Amino acid sequence: MSRSLKHIALRRLAVLVAFLALWELCAKFNLLNPFYFPPPSKVWLTVASLFTEGNIWPHLEATFSAALFGLVLGILIGIVAGIAGALIPLLAEVIEPVMMLLNAIPRVILAPLFVIWLGIGLASKVAVAFVLVAVLMFFTVYTGIKEVDRRLIERVTTLGGGNLVLLREVYLPSLTAWVLGNLKVAVGFAFTGACVGEFVAASRGLGYLLSFAQSTYNAALTLALVLLIMIFVLVLFGVAGILEKYFLRWR
Amino acid sequence: MLKVSDLALAYGEHPVLEGASIAVDEGQFVSLVGPSGSGKSSILRAVMGLQKPSAGTVDLRVPHREVGILFQDDALLPWRTARENVMLGLRIRGIAEAQAAEQACDWLARLGLADFTERYPRTLSGGQRKRVALAQVLALAPKFLLMDEPFASLDAIVRHRVTQDLLDLVEEERLSVLLVTHDLEEAQVLSDVIYLLSQGPRAHIRHRYTVPIPRPRHLIKARSDPSFAPLLERLWRDLSAEVDAAHQSGTA
Repeated sequence: MSRSLKHIALRRLAVLVAFLALWELCAKFNLLNPFYFPPPSKVWLTVASLFTEGNIWPHLEATFSAALFGLVLGILIGIVAGIAGALIPLLAEVIEPVMMLLNAIPRVILAPLFVIWLGIGLASKVAVAFVLVAVLMFFTVYTGIKEVDRRLIERVTTLGGGNLVLLREVYLPSLTAWVLGNLKVAVGFAFTGACVGEFVAASRGLGYLLSFAQSTYNAALTLALVLLIMIFVLVLFGVAGILEKYFLRWR
Repeated sequence: MLKVSDLALAYGEHPVLEGASIAVDEGQFVSLVGPSGSGKSSILRAVMGLQKPSAGTVDLRVPHREVGILFQDDALLPWRTARENVMLGLRIRGIAEAQAAEQACDWLARLGLADFTERYPRTLSGGQRKRVALAQVLALAPKFLLMDEPFASLDAIVRHRVTQDLLDLVEEERLSVLLVTHDLEEAQVLSDVIYLLSQGPRAHIRHRYTVPIPRPRHLIKARSDPSFAPLLERLWRDLSAEVDAAHQSGTA
């Protein structure tokens, strides 16, 4: 890490510590109502108790399964649909308006419909995560192919390259760049989909726990769950960042 | 090597070029100069097969695989290293990986990039990228080079050095070249024959000049040849007349 980046990280950490300390003090001296704003120490204890009592594992498993299945399916189907839409004009006529419509609406509103169709199990949560990620990936790939640098295509063609060479040397690397560039957003979308799905109707999962915490006015549990989701998403962001750094090292 | 006869080119309804005839003989360096919009680059694109003529013929008497093309943009694959970019054309031609790598490194070394073979284009300077693009083309051992203002984007010093490298290679390998350029001095120093195009639309070949400077040439020393100044003056006069005529007719 360069010196300036270290300084930025230190400054951010300092602001975070100061904010948490101020919050803790305000709660301690009753400047904030701990019922609505439980102090960070209590939130942390709640997180710890979720793990020490072991209650969190089935919920984590449910949310991670839904998010990761939705993410993988969304990426695969989104890429295939994007490639097909960009390369087969006849197909684009059908796919594009559907995707445009799905992109224009807040896609989480489909969650209740998926619960009606697929039940309150894993499938409806995967479906919400999937639809969020697939539309993002479709437009990523569709735009990526449409906006491939024409000069590169001309260059490879004049060197004697045919369609297969163009696919290997120009289209696929361009697509990798576009997809990896949006991977972090996709991870966030997948968790959003899974949690919203669980929030609507479920018997387990972090979204279900959040819904339970909200209905019982348990602010400490709500904040603990928000913190947990943030930590897990940040860890996945880190993994996506490593992949991005490796595959896009030429940047 | 190349004979273009009565070539007409148009973009949709808009005619660019009409009745242009040029020839490039074996081992000859030919330049196309002319005002902007005169269709110089379009002629090159028609020769490359990237643009269909609306009339006339392009008789390229050398197989396409022996034609090397260098654009103004270096257009290197950003995800490939300098070596991999040079290897690309060789691999397309079925040359084995190891042999292609060796040839690519040889060409990069020949153009002064021995220490930059594993660098990505983003980390190279404009001049270095241009050299990689040149190595990519020359590694395919072309007999005929088509170049569209390949060094226009470079600063004066780098441009001078890359151009001299190119000139040395062209003379050494006895390549035929068709160059599009705006730079009259560059055209004169490099070429055996210069064609001046008239102002478009419906541009055509206005003059053909023979450059008598003996080979091998040096970019600086060629300028002190007794024929240099008079021919340059003539080129400027004819080009200015074209531009003036276009201004008067309101087409420029």
